[in-house]
Amino acid sequence: MKTNRIRKTMIAVVLGFALVAGTNAYADGDDSTHDHGNHHASYNAVENHAYTQECSACHYLYLPGLLPARSWEALIKGSDKHFGENLALDEKTSAEILGFLKSNSAEKTNTEWSMKIMKSVGSSTPERIMDVPWIIKEHRKVKNAFKRPSVGSASNCGACHTRGHEGDFDTVKVPK
Amino acid sequence: MKRGLSAMIALAALFVSANAYSALNQEMNGLIEKFQKEAGIKAFSAEDGKKFFATKRMHSKGEERSCSTCHTADPRQKGKTVVGKVIEPMAQSMNKERFTDPKKVEKWLKRNCEWVLERECTPKEKGDFILYMTTI
Repeated sequence: MKTNRIRKTMIAVVLGFALVAGTNAYADGDDSTHDHGNHHASYNAVENHAYTQECSACHYLYLPGLLPARSWEALIKGSDKHFGENLALDEKTSAEILGFLKSNSAEKTNTEWSMKIMKSVGSSTPERIMDVPWIIKEHRKVKNAFKRPSVGSASNCGACHTRGHEGDFDTVKVPK
Repeated sequence: MKRGLSAMIALAALFVSANAYSALNQEMNGLIEKFQKEAGIKAFSAEDGKKFFATKRMHSKGEERSCSTCHTADPRQKGKTVVGKVIEPMAQSMNKERFTDPKKVEKWLKRNCEWVLERECTPKEKGDFILYMTTI
């Protein structure tokens, strides 16, 4: 059973690579939708009211599985200096958000993506998703698109990952 | 008796005209009263709130910042956060949910006063701001 699952995962990984290699043009292509078809790589959509309220008013609601637990810990601990802003979170809210982030962090999600993220960060504690070496590498060909007004910045995942909020980062549509 | 009644009506009318916060719910009026006490003043000014909203201040990061940096010059319009996320209009006339929850209002004032002014806002600044946002 387990061997079967491993074999299936391996096939999915190989297929994923083949698809990425085959559709590499997506990185420079502007508006075609690409579905790598490898939904093993995606996340389950998770939600928490406090997290949505406090975090998504300002920025994209990053899935907790995109960073290790220690990164979320560092971010919440430093929430009074959050990229130049004091988030003014009370203790109860901080604790609730951190609890949610930690129980759904990259270590806990166990998907192909989160495993790649964990391997890629090594012992570092990235405080930005775009500081994860594997994620940087995956975006090397779309770097220029980040500056487009339709995208805004690299922190606006949803501009291209149109189904990212559902946990599906494989569907990519880079706007003009 | 009749005189007493008209005096009462006059007093009530005076109270209504002085109470510019009729748009606010009871909890929010409580917050305004708190700011009034702290500021030691009887009424806030929407005009001062308007100026406060538009005033650009030099930030230690070397850029000018104001409330309007993110909320646009007209608080009835949608704004955008520094990373490009849409902000629903601040003006209560455009967004009924605005200024209904004192806890939320205080948290956002703390968050954003620090971003714009690098300090907490004074009770007068907060009161003027809320009055402007609920009357425009």
